[in-house]
Amino acid sequence: MLHIEQNNLLIKQTLTDRVLPAEEGLKSLDRIITDFDFTTYHISTLPDNKQLILISIYLKCWDDLVKYGVVEYLNSKYGLFEGLTILLGDQIEPSYNYSLVLDLGQVESQAEELKLDLVEQLSFLKRNAMASAFEQAFARYDELAAHYATSNTYSEEIQAELQNEEVLVIKYRGSDESIYIKPSFDRVTVVFSTVFQDETDKIFGKVFLQEFVDARKRSVQTAPQVLYSHKEAPLDIQSAVQGSRDDEKKGYITFVLFPRHLVKGDRRENCISHIQFFRNYFHYHIKCSKAYMHSRMRFRVKEFLKILNRAKPENVDEEGKVIENRKTASGRRFVA
Amino acid sequence: MSQSLKPYLAAVRSSLTAAICLEDFSSQLVERHNRPEIEVDNTHNPELILNPMIIARNENEKILIEPSVNSVRVSIKIKQADEIEQILVHKFTRFLTSRAENFFILRRVPIKGYDISFLITNFHTEQMLKDKLVDFIIEFMEDVDKEISEMKLFLNARARVIAEAYLTPFD
Repeated sequence: MLHIEQNNLLIKQTLTDRVLPAEEGLKSLDRIITDFDFTTYHISTLPDNKQLILISIYLKCWDDLVKYGVVEYLNSKYGLFEGLTILLGDQIEPSYNYSLVLDLGQVESQAEELKLDLVEQLSFLKRNAMASAFEQAFARYDELAAHYATSNTYSEEIQAELQNEEVLVIKYRGSDESIYIKPSFDRVTVVFSTVFQDETDKIFGKVFLQEFVDARKRSVQTAPQVLYSHKEAPLDIQSAVQGSRDDEKKGYITFVLFPRHLVKGDRRENCISHIQFFRNYFHYHIKCSKAYMHSRMRFRVKEFLKILNRAKPENVDEEGKVIENRKTASGRRFVA
Repeated sequence: MSQSLKPYLAAVRSSLTAAICLEDFSSQLVERHNRPEIEVDNTHNPELILNPMIIARNENEKILIEPSVNSVRVSIKIKQADEIEQILVHKFTRFLTSRAENFFILRRVPIKGYDISFLITNFHTEQMLKDKLVDFIIEFMEDVDKEISEMKLFLNARARVIAEAYLTPFD
């Protein structure tokens, strides 16, 4: 349980049950599933045809993602599958951002592997939606890398140009908690802003982040560089940061992804899935430690109580006074 | 137990044993009242209050013993070297004080400047063995330090593990 699953298990199960039915006869289905960061899915059968399943997703940061081509990216991912229709414009389910219709009739004839692959991909819906922004930033990095490959990147003009590179902003939990992505020619900087609920979270968070910073020096030398700043946004993204600046509870975590993490193909995919779950992972582990501390304190308090109870003599009368119960060797009691 | 802790605890133990010498004493101000004199504010007769005593190991670790004719108030300041220990001590003492009923001698609110306070009255000493009460306080002081530093170590170890687990798959 160290890592958080990137797909949604409930979607996977719901759809697997449908695609590989154990029993005959279709039942209607209407399920609302929630996920991290205020994400909601709605899986339902269409009223007139139970063969058709409507899958919709709502993401808090959809408007930001649209700017970074989420629709095209999802279309390219899901357009390949037979039996999957992407709904456009007005057809999208109200109050959701993106809808797909799965036609069980068409899927039925496919091989089991294909079916499972389809379900698997659908369970990654949120991951894929978020990935679009990263994909775009990484594509921009490719461009920049090619563009500056032969020039002197230390010259001031180029440095200034790079400084002005647009920052991609995903407000995945409202304006207080966002992801900022800034591509450059030799790296991509990903900054998470996060809010700590209370003082304990903040301090635990600090301890954790310190270890993130140190881990690279100690053992995982090839990992992205991690920087942490409390309250103040890193210079790179200062222009893009909105909302209350001087917030005591706010922290910024910067990941610097180097070309070795951005190699096209599996590694890039892996990097995207991994980094976008940072906040969830981080806060999950803070909560876990708090829970552990709590159970530990509970245990310790119980131990203390035991020690205190030793102070209570066993023989007390109703008023709690000690009853003298000493006996002589022959078994006779003392008389008061 | 470290070398400097031993004499500290020994001093606390003998002072506490001396201080917990309590008798039933009815209030001189209100008829038919019987209350812990140490808790009554300064309108009452000063002859009922004995000299308070502070035993300090260092500025961060000390104990205040305030004896009176029928009650003793013992306040402990627990070592807090950094932010993490502060928060852990705070959480731990809050955890204890919210369970004060079970602890009989625990005071719900600590005295200002201290982390946790105990109030021992003559009724407690009548019901419980005095030596064991002193034992409890001594053991509490010992264990609390141990517990806090263990929790801190655990937190660091956990942070290290999860940081490495997160950063490794990037490659």
